[in-house]
Amino acid sequence: MSLLETIAVTKQFGGLTAVNRVSMHVDEGEIVGLIGPNGAGKTTFLNAIAGLNPPTSGTVRAFGEDTTGLTPEKMCHRGLSRTFQIPRPFPKMTALENVMAAAIFGNRRKPPRDPVAHSREMLEFVEFPESEKTVSENLNTVQLKRLDLARALASSPRLLFLDELAAGLTEGELKDIITIIRKIQENGVTILMVEHIMQLIMNVCDRLVVIQFGSKIAEGPTREVAQDPKVTEAYLGKSQ
Amino acid sequence: METGVSKHEMGFFSSVLDRLCLTPLGALLLVLLALLPLIPPFNQQYLLRWLTIVALSAASAIAFDLTAGFINIVNFGYAAILGLGAYTSAILAVRTGLSPWIGIFVGALASGLLGFLTGLLTLRLRGIFAAVMAWFIGLALMGLAIKMVWLTRGPLGLRVPRMFDTSSNEPYYYMMIVMLLVVYVICRWVTRSKMGLAFKAIGQNMEAARTSGVNPTYYRIVNFTLSCTIAGWLGGFYAHYMGILTPDLMHTSKTVEVLAVVYIGGRGSLWGGAFLAFPFLIAMELVRSGFSNLPGLHLVIYGVILILVMIYLPGGIASLYYRFLYKPWGKFWEFMVGYKEND
Repeated sequence: MSLLETIAVTKQFGGLTAVNRVSMHVDEGEIVGLIGPNGAGKTTFLNAIAGLNPPTSGTVRAFGEDTTGLTPEKMCHRGLSRTFQIPRPFPKMTALENVMAAAIFGNRRKPPRDPVAHSREMLEFVEFPESEKTVSENLNTVQLKRLDLARALASSPRLLFLDELAAGLTEGELKDIITIIRKIQENGVTILMVEHIMQLIMNVCDRLVVIQFGSKIAEGPTREVAQDPKVTEAYLGKSQ
Repeated sequence: METGVSKHEMGFFSSVLDRLCLTPLGALLLVLLALLPLIPPFNQQYLLRWLTIVALSAASAIAFDLTAGFINIVNFGYAAILGLGAYTSAILAVRTGLSPWIGIFVGALASGLLGFLTGLLTLRLRGIFAAVMAWFIGLALMGLAIKMVWLTRGPLGLRVPRMFDTSSNEPYYYMMIVMLLVVYVICRWVTRSKMGLAFKAIGQNMEAARTSGVNPTYYRIVNFTLSCTIAGWLGGFYAHYMGILTPDLMHTSKTVEVLAVVYIGGRGSLWGGAFLAFPFLIAMELVRSGFSNLPGLHLVIYGVILILVMIYLPGGIASLYYRFLYKPWGKFWEFMVGYKEND
């Protein structure tokens, strides 16, 4: 059964159609990559599902029920977590408090007995390099991405959205992230990730969905889609 | 949060301070406040009267900061909400003979209810709507207080029965200090609980808070209502202390006064504004009486200091304390009395 299914999801901003009738599904246990050129509407699509910016039309079904237009906090309580492309923590809180907010308020289904210990565990899981007492406005982007991931995991999601988690990482950091993503999957979390870095996509994604100009142009197992001429064309332009 | 020293490791002294959410320094300042009426020149009645009013401003600064500093919403109708509490308690005392001791709590409920309704209407939207709506409600309340002469006697002033049957200021002063402590402890308890974490999350980043499962509308309404309730309670005290009530208590400039104190003292610290209120408001009062040929000069000074603080010291006076005094003082007190902060 699909954990997440979208049917003809459309998002319009005034006259501009940012996402145009995208239908796709994510099965339980999968890692699905959502790829496409810059400005294709990938993040908008994630926002439409996660509730930050509800779709103009179409249906979103998650966890076996219709969740179209539910608020982000309700989606979080149902088991959907996400990281942000530009990490957005709570700037004046310590790293630990950042994670605790999600551990305390995001866990409606099975609240952890000790939110502090649970949060520490999450920071350890993502190999957070700084002290848990560091105030998060003092962290750099790479550290913020780890913190954001720990925050997203703290609410014990069943479905996790990763929005360009690996952008700007070095080769070594990329390897770490791949290991972490695999570990998240082994813990039974289904992942939908927006990503540009091919090394990561080829390594972890089971299936790919390709979006261009707001419309889905391809979908299928990673190897097949990567060799699809339509997809190379979308990225590189038409060969003469 | 509960990440520091666990309760059973603390000594008696530390655990009492911890319950009261005070540092040893804070407790010392509180003792100083309690002794102040014995120390010249503050043993004079008119100075004690000033101090009482300043302590009232300090307490209202704490409740204002609960909203402005935590959920990032500036309640521009704050003074009017405080005034609503004052008028409710006063009118009940005048018309029905209700004891001021009960009246101030009824006043608090009235203010809290209005805060709740305002919040219910506006707090699902962006913060600016709540700020503007509260401001309009404040203006409307003040307009009512001026126009409903049959009830409030308008600008002529409503004579209100006082709380204590004495002309001396000491009982009022001490009652105000106790109320100041109560307001501080309530706000501190709330903000260091889980609810406080939600407040901070909402104030610092709404999207991340919602994505983490925090329901912003609920927590904002709780916060706003609590802040307004406290304001109404303080307003009731004001009415029964001054003995006369005029509508200019509710003027927006009174809100701005509290806002200036909170911002200069340090938004989000709770104690910053309360601490600053004493030297700052007394200095401003001296300016006002010293330059009586230049009315409004003190307001200009408010503005200039406010702008300077917002540019050069966004964390206010409180941030100076945390930057320079916090660690050395902590070591000092740990050495002296075995106190360890449970942060």
